[in-house]
Amino acid sequence: MTHPEELLSAFLDDELTPDERTLVATHLDECADCRSELAMVEVARSAVRSLPLLEPPPGLIPGIGVPRRSFSLRRAWVWATSGAVAVALAVVVAVAPGAPAPAFDLDTVADQHTARVVVEPGFATVRAPVGDR
Amino acid sequence: MPDDTVPSWEEVARHHGRTIYNFAYRLTGNPDDAHDLVQEVLLRVRRGLATYRPGSFEGWLWRITRNAFLDDVRRKKRRPTVPLPEDDRSSTGSSPAPDEVLASVRLSEDVQAALLRLPIEFREAVVMCDVVGLTYDEIADSAEIPVGTVRSRIHRGRKMLREMLT
Repeated sequence: MTHPEELLSAFLDDELTPDERTLVATHLDECADCRSELAMVEVARSAVRSLPLLEPPPGLIPGIGVPRRSFSLRRAWVWATSGAVAVALAVVVAVAPGAPAPAFDLDTVADQHTARVVVEPGFATVRAPVGDR
Repeated sequence: MPDDTVPSWEEVARHHGRTIYNFAYRLTGNPDDAHDLVQEVLLRVRRGLATYRPGSFEGWLWRITRNAFLDDVRRKKRRPTVPLPEDDRSSTGSSPAPDEVLASVRLSEDVQAALLRLPIEFREAVVMCDVVGLTYDEIADSAEIPVGTVRSRIHRGRKMLREMLT
């Protein structure tokens, strides 16, 4: 039996003429050795095809991999500026005269404290200042 | 790219630059040699476009790329070096688990190392087919060999690779 070994990769890649394809397919039905070899080259083909696509270093190829530094700095500047403005606005609102006082319900706080003392007896212990220990 | 137009150098760099880099990296096995090879190819493309006549652009481009690689090999007269580990230059769209990344990097290194152990004719045929994605006719055109030889080189290259990876 003549084995069409060197046509097997082309068979995998769909690079045979219709007649050649029929010939190989018919042979594969009958030949375990060629089926085994086909499986072998298929593994190698998949291994190479699954290699990661590498990005060229910035600056090597015009229009590809433009250095990100300038972009990042610009974006960082925008974010920093926005953040500073937001903080400033928050401070102004918090200390502005006439701003409503934060809600504080003494009864609720007292209830929470009592509940915690019941659950954690040590919580109510008066602690000495750090310097007196 | 239509065969009846002559692209500009910038268009060639933009459209094919990444593929040329990957071709160069997989053939040479290290970023420095790949870098030099890409620069040489782009230089040759720039010079060659002045006299390029519309036809099989892919064949023309990959003939230049292949010849630049072979000239480099002849000039250096040495075997390609062992590849460096691939780091974050690889582009992945998702975030696999660390152990998956590690396994993948190891596999990539094994495959790359095996590629470098192939005879040059087999290596370039396999890389042109499985990394660049050229058809057998395009490989035959760029390597100036019959399609039957392309079939044989790809098959024998893959068979050797599989044996090395076992």
